[in-house]
Amino acid sequence: MQWTADKVQEEVVKLLRPFNPKGIEITSDTDLSADLFMDSVAAMNLVMEIEDRFEIDIPISLLPDVNSLQDLVDVVLAQLSKG
Amino acid sequence: MPSATASTNSSLSFRIAEFETLVDGLDYAASGETGCNFFTPRGELQAALTYREIRDRAVALAQRFTRAGVERGSRVALVAETSPDFLIFFFGCQYAGLIPVPVPLTIHLGGHDAYVERLRSMIGKAGAQIAVGPAEMLHYLKEAAGGLKMIGTPADFYDLPAEGGDLRPFAGHEACYIQYSSGSTSLPRGVFVSQRAITSNARGIGQHGLALRSGDRATSWLPLYHDMGLVGFCLTPMLSQITIDYLATKSFALRPLTWLKLISQYGGTISFSPTFGYDLCATRGLNGSAKTIDLSRWRVAGIGGEMVRSETLDRFAQTFGVTGFSPKAFLPSYGLAESTLAVTFASLDKGIEVDRIDQEHYTHTGNVAPVPIKVNSKKANGANRAARSFVICGAPMPDHEVEVRSEKNDRLTDHHVGRIVVRGPSVMDGYYNDPAATAAITTPDGWLDTGDLGYMIDGRLVVTGRRKDLVILNGLNIWPQDVEWAVEALEDVRGSDVACFSVIETDGNERMIVVLQCRLHDVAARENLRKRVAATVRRTCGADCRVVLVPPKTLKFTSSGKLSRSAVKADYISGELSDLNLAFTEHDDSAPAYSEQRS
Repeated sequence: MQWTADKVQEEVVKLLRPFNPKGIEITSDTDLSADLFMDSVAAMNLVMEIEDRFEIDIPISLLPDVNSLQDLVDVVLAQLSKG
Repeated sequence: MPSATASTNSSLSFRIAEFETLVDGLDYAASGETGCNFFTPRGELQAALTYREIRDRAVALAQRFTRAGVERGSRVALVAETSPDFLIFFFGCQYAGLIPVPVPLTIHLGGHDAYVERLRSMIGKAGAQIAVGPAEMLHYLKEAAGGLKMIGTPADFYDLPAEGGDLRPFAGHEACYIQYSSGSTSLPRGVFVSQRAITSNARGIGQHGLALRSGDRATSWLPLYHDMGLVGFCLTPMLSQITIDYLATKSFALRPLTWLKLISQYGGTISFSPTFGYDLCATRGLNGSAKTIDLSRWRVAGIGGEMVRSETLDRFAQTFGVTGFSPKAFLPSYGLAESTLAVTFASLDKGIEVDRIDQEHYTHTGNVAPVPIKVNSKKANGANRAARSFVICGAPMPDHEVEVRSEKNDRLTDHHVGRIVVRGPSVMDGYYNDPAATAAITTPDGWLDTGDLGYMIDGRLVVTGRRKDLVILNGLNIWPQDVEWAVEALEDVRGSDVACFSVIETDGNERMIVVLQCRLHDVAARENLRKRVAATVRRTCGADCRVVLVPPKTLKFTSSGKLSRSAVKADYISGELSDLNLAFTEHDDSAPAYSEQRS
């Protein structure tokens, strides 16, 4: 299937739900560390969910530059475009 | 499709770490068919290299280094990805007389700045002239150390001309590599490992600890920038012509069962993990794989790298018993990078043995007070005395010695808790370029002071905790100072306002505590600060912490003005520290019921 940026964002937000027990509103600017309290164990679980959902591999070397939801969506789009 | 390397050599006789240098060992292994296999995140074979191929490519790379005029003894920083390139570069350095310095990867969301700072301090302290990393990580290396003579990807170096380059391998009395697994970001300490130390340690591990035999096969997801991954599951197997099946650490963290599937599919007999790795597998469970996983050939399931916790291992054995896993395969061990890797091993084929002690007596006595009074497990006297179990980590390897000492450096007798000190051929000569740090961990009579606490019983070591301030969460080593400095850089926080330490809670889990002197009066502003502190800690070290806001002048300092984390921790455990915004702290119902840990 052809993934658009909006569709990717929608899916990532869905995958983030289990990591957002307080149900705070998630926007492109939501900071995964500061707002969603994601530690490295949670981050690994999220990466697995995303890899499985989009059938991509996310190199961990990209994670240090992922702060916001937008950063994460950009990583997914970049990896999707690599096929 | 590559095919995986064999577990045995058809005509080469099996020699367990009998070599004086890594080059001697690799030259020997190169005459056989064993080697290293690398698997994808989903457990498919991605690359297979025999030791011959690794040697040939390492030799060719060494010629490129020398042809390019790299001086003998130069340090080469290598991003330690689990990949063929890392092995080729590590061994290439050995043939070229260069000192490899493995540097870590990071997995922390938003951890860019902290990671670059860490690389910068490691590369700087080692005085590396060259840095090598995969393409997608070059920007970190360039940002951390842009001024180096050469920074590039493995391919950049393979493109250099080789013709006419000399080989100038290290001799037995010379250096081997620098291992960063202790020390904070602010003060990194690189263990300077010699050829003598690494070959001695590999000999002890291979001949004694694991009693390697022909046909053994190693399986590992351990990071190659840690001593257990590098020494235990790269150098020791190579020096014994053992085939290794590698899974990247990230692949294990995402899908831990892939580790067990590889052991099953390829007939792994030897694999190690810190306790948390077994915990992760037990938590995920078999996931419907009971019929397809066969762990009956796994004869050594080693545990090391952090406190060995028997309850977790019991849970693993129960979960995976159906696959043929034998709890007798568990092999507790104790070691540290300053002694290359291994110091003690429990006995093979015995499983976990614990020493049960009187909890109350242990909690209330000082470091060197007589403990433990044996608790009669049949409750013959005083049924309500709580017991606590510590795992017995075994006896030191041949030629190595372990003692437990008092603060005054007197040797303690059995059942007395004190400082664990070590002596033997595996002990490092010192931290690289850091005589003061080396002196600080050397006893007056020349033993290595490990910074750990424990006691002896009949020549066997029991580790009870750490005296040094290191925090270990989910296998990550966290230096409190790194956390404190990151928090002190925040707005509204002053220098010397922060203390970070960990406590062991009653469930055996370690929890990180950050105590912060708070000068804000507004309740909401305080909560905002708490949130910023927690986020900063997560970005710095990828771990959660409990933030305790206290009034100014609460933290305790030593007479020389240094923060006394142990005094602050004691206040915390005794309940003397209460949060300014008590109503807003989230986890108060779980606080503080600690089973440990006097410092």
